[in-house]
Amino acid sequence: MADSEEKKPKKTRKRQRIEETIRASDPWEPVGQTPMPDIPDLRNWDMRLMKAYPPMYAPFCDVCCFCTYGKCDLTAGKRGGCGIDIAGQQGRIVLLAACMGLSAHGGHARHVIDHLIEHYGEDLKIDLGSNVAVEAPNIRLVLGLKPETLKDLVTALEYVESELIHLISSLHTGQEGSNLDFESKALHASMLDHVAMEAADIAQIIGFKFPTSVAETPLVDMGCAVLDGDKPTIIVVGHNPVTSTTIIDYLRQNDLRDKVEVGGLCCTAHETSRYDDHVRVIGPLSRQLFYIRTGIGDVVITDEQCIRTDLLDEARKVGSGFIATSDKACYGLEDATEKDADEIVREMVDNGKQYLILDPHKAGQVAVRVALELAPQRRSQMISDSEAQELAKKCVQCDMCERVCPNMLDISVAVSQVAKGNMDPMKELFDKCLGCGKCQEECTHGVPVFQIMQTAARTEAYKMRTGRGPIMDTEIRNVGAPIVLGTIPGVIAFVGCSNYPDMTDLAEMAEEFAKRKYIVVLTGCAAMTVGMRKDADGKTIYEKYPPSFEAGGVINVGSCVSNAHITGAAIKIANIFATLPLRGNYEVIADYILNRVGAVGVAWGAYSQKAVSIATGCNRLGIPVVLGPHSSKYRRLFLSQKEEGDWTVRDGRKGEMVDTGEPSPEHLAYVTETKEKAMITIAKLCIRKNDTPQGRALKLNHYISLYKKFMGGGLPPDLHLYVRTDKELPIVYKKEAMAYLKEIGWKPKPVLTLPTLIGTYPSKVPPDAVIH
Amino acid sequence: MVTPFHRVNVLTGVKSAIVLDSAPDYAALIKQARRPLLVLGPKLLEESLGGKLLLEWAMEIAGAANMATCATAHVKGKLVPMGVNPDSEYDAVEIVNHLKNPEWQGVKREGNHDLVIFFGFRTDLGNQSLSVLKHFAPHLRTMTLCKYFFPNADYSLPNFRKDEDWEGFLEELISSLKEKD
Repeated sequence: MADSEEKKPKKTRKRQRIEETIRASDPWEPVGQTPMPDIPDLRNWDMRLMKAYPPMYAPFCDVCCFCTYGKCDLTAGKRGGCGIDIAGQQGRIVLLAACMGLSAHGGHARHVIDHLIEHYGEDLKIDLGSNVAVEAPNIRLVLGLKPETLKDLVTALEYVESELIHLISSLHTGQEGSNLDFESKALHASMLDHVAMEAADIAQIIGFKFPTSVAETPLVDMGCAVLDGDKPTIIVVGHNPVTSTTIIDYLRQNDLRDKVEVGGLCCTAHETSRYDDHVRVIGPLSRQLFYIRTGIGDVVITDEQCIRTDLLDEARKVGSGFIATSDKACYGLEDATEKDADEIVREMVDNGKQYLILDPHKAGQVAVRVALELAPQRRSQMISDSEAQELAKKCVQCDMCERVCPNMLDISVAVSQVAKGNMDPMKELFDKCLGCGKCQEECTHGVPVFQIMQTAARTEAYKMRTGRGPIMDTEIRNVGAPIVLGTIPGVIAFVGCSNYPDMTDLAEMAEEFAKRKYIVVLTGCAAMTVGMRKDADGKTIYEKYPPSFEAGGVINVGSCVSNAHITGAAIKIANIFATLPLRGNYEVIADYILNRVGAVGVAWGAYSQKAVSIATGCNRLGIPVVLGPHSSKYRRLFLSQKEEGDWTVRDGRKGEMVDTGEPSPEHLAYVTETKEKAMITIAKLCIRKNDTPQGRALKLNHYISLYKKFMGGGLPPDLHLYVRTDKELPIVYKKEAMAYLKEIGWKPKPVLTLPTLIGTYPSKVPPDAVIH
Repeated sequence: MVTPFHRVNVLTGVKSAIVLDSAPDYAALIKQARRPLLVLGPKLLEESLGGKLLLEWAMEIAGAANMATCATAHVKGKLVPMGVNPDSEYDAVEIVNHLKNPEWQGVKREGNHDLVIFFGFRTDLGNQSLSVLKHFAPHLRTMTLCKYFFPNADYSLPNFRKDEDWEGFLEELISSLKEKD
C-alpha cells in the first residue's frame, strides 16, 4: 500500500451515507467537519460554552417522579433510586422540554411539507425570490445540504427525526445522568429545532406563496374591534396554515371573500395574514380564551400548538361551531374526514355537533358554510359598562382570584373598581392578563371576570406588518460590516409567547432600541404585541419605523417557525459578509457569531417548550437570550461568573491564547424581573470581543445611557471590564468614565482582530478555519 | 405545611421553609449571622406599607442590622435619589449564582454570606431564586421579609392576611435588631 493511501483516513459507512445524502460532490462549498452531526459531534463545543456559561439550576420541585422507583427526594445531595441527582434531573427536564419544542416544529414542518407534496409533488423548487440566494442557512450549516426542492426539505426532516429518537432515548431512566451531557443534548435538540423551523417556513413560503424577497409587506388590521360584527366570522387558532389557507381559497372561489370575516389568534393569524392581508389578526395567545368566550367566532377552527385544550368546551358554551383539524389535537372528537360535507354541515348547524376533520379542503369548506348558516342565529356583542358594573357587584373580594393568577394580579381590586364605575384599573389589568382563565374558574361567587374585562377590550384596534420571511441577502451585505464592527450596535430579536409580566413592556422595549438605531426583529406573539400600543398620534411601531433590516428598522419576520430566519440572518452575516463557508461548519460559524455578531434574543413572555428549544438553539449558535420573570420556572439558565469566569480566547491571527478578562457576552440565558433592567442588559449583551474601538464606543454609549436612565445616574460598576482603550469611551461620558477608570486602577487591554474559541478546546476544526 | 398565597409557588417536594412570625426570633437569627446580606427586589419600589415605601423599610432594616445590601433589577434607580448606594448591584439570578459558590468572597469581598434575606420580589421569581440556594448552597441560610410565604426559603414569614400585621412585624423586627444583646 502506498504511503499516501495509508495516511488517508478511510471513509466510514456513516460518512459515505452522509456525503450521498448531502450531495457532497456538489461544488457550492467545501464540506466542513460536522455535516449532519450526531449527538457527540458538537459536544466539545457545548462543553466549551458551558465552561464560560455553566448552567444554573432553579429546581421547580424537590423530587423526581419519572419512574416507579419514585417519588424520589433529591434534596440535600440525595440521589434518586436510579442514581440521578438534582442537577441531572433538571438537565433532563430541560432536554425533555427541548425535545418537545423540536417535535412541535418538526411535526408542523412534516404536516405542511407532506400536504404540499400531495399538491405539487416533491420536486417543487425552492425559490425565495431574487434577493434570497442563501435560502436555508440553518440547513446548509447543520446538514451541509443546499436544499433545492421539497424533497430536500424531507431529507432535512428525516435527519432531525432520526436524531430525535436518540435524544429522547437518553431521557429514559438509567441512561444519561450528567447534567452537562443533558444540556449538550438539549443544545443539540435545539439546534435541530432551527432546522425544522426553517424547513417548515421555506415550505410555507413556496407552497402558499407567502411574501419573500420583500421588506415592505402589508399592514394588517389587528385587535377585536376591527372585526365586522355583522358578518359571519371564522376564528382560526394555532400555528399551521394548511387549513386556514383553504378557508381563504374557498371564500375566493365562491365569491364570498367580502362576506365572511376570518380572524386569527396566535401564529395561525401570522400565517394566514401572509396568505391574505385582509385577514384580521385578533391577537396573541394571551387573548385566545378571552375572545373565544366573547362568542365572536361563529366557527372556531384549531390546528396545532398553543391551542387551549379546553377550546372545545368553551366554543360549545357560546354556541360557536368547532372543528379540530390536526392529528396532534383531536379533542376526542368524532373523525368526520370521510363524511360527506353536506352531512357534516347539517349536523353542526342543526345539532351543534363538533368534529375532527383532517382533510383541510373539507374543513375549510365546512367552516365557511357553517359560519354562513350559524351567524344569523347567533349574534354576540360585548357587554356595556353598566352591565359590567352590575356583574362586578357579585365580587366579595375574597382574593381567591389573585391567589391562582399566574401573574399574581390584583384582580379583585380591579373588579371592585368596576363595581364602582371606574373602568381604568380593569384596562390596566387587561394589559397584564395572561388569559389563563383560572380566576374565573376559582371564583366561588361566579363573578365572570372575562366578561367584565370586555369593557377594557372592545376598542382594541391596531396595525401589524405581516411577516416577511427571510432577511434578504442584499440587506445582509449592507449591514454585515457595521454589525460586525459594532457601528450598528446590535440586532435585537423580540420573540416568543405572551406570558408577559405586562404586555406593554414589549412595545416600550422594542421602540427604545429602534430609536437607538439597533435593528429590531420580531416573531410570533411578540410581533403582535408590539403593535398593540399606539403613540399620541395613534400610530403603532410598525407605522413609525422602516420595515427593512437596517439601523432603526422594525421587522416582523413572521410566526414561530420564522425564528429560523433570525438565526439564519446571523449565520448569513458570517457567510455572506465574512465569506466563511457554512457547509457542515457549525463550530466555526457559531464561534464567529459569539465573538462578532451583536445579536440578542428577548423572550419576555416565554411560556412553552418551543420557546425553550428556540432560545437554546440560539445559545448554541452564540446568541444570548434575555427572558422575563416567568422563565425562572424553566429551571435552567446559562450564567457566567463575570470577571471570575474563563474569558480566554485565541487570537486567530497570531495564534496566541489571550485572557481577555472581558465577559462578553456576559450571559447566554438570563432572567430578569423588570423591563428597565432588561433594557440595560440587552445593550450590554450586544458587546462582542471583535468590536472595533469605534463600535465599542457606540455600544458603551447605549449601555451607559440606559444605565443612567434607569439606575439613577452614575456609571455601570462593570464598565471597566468592557473598556479596552480610552478611545472606546463615548465622548459624552469620557470625562466621568476616565475619572472612574483611574480611581479603580484600570489598565488598557489589547484589541484583538480575530478573537476565537477555536483552539481553546479539543476540536477537529483546524485553527486557521476561522481566518477569512 | 403552609400553602403559599400564590398557588404557582405550591411546593412539590419535601423541604419547606420554617414559618416564623416572631420578630424577636427573626432578629435573633439575623444577629447570629456573621455576614448577612439583604437582597432588594423591585417590588420594594412599587408598594408601600403604613405610608412608607417598602424600600424605606428595607433600608431601615439593613441599617438596624448593619447588613450588606444587594440591589437587583433597577432598584438602584430609586435608592440613588434617596441618597443611598447599595453595597452591590447584581440581578436576582446573578446574586444567587454567586452565592451558591462557597468560595465567593461576598459583596464586600470579606467572604461569602451566611444568611441571605430576600425582600421585595415577585413571589414566583423569588421562590425560584431561593430554590437555587436551597438545593445548591448548603453553606448558607435564607429568609424572606415579604408579605407571603416562600416555601423554598429556610425561614419565611406566613401569609399575612392584613397589612397591619405585616407592618407590626417589621416594626418589631427593627426595634429588636436595634436592641443591644
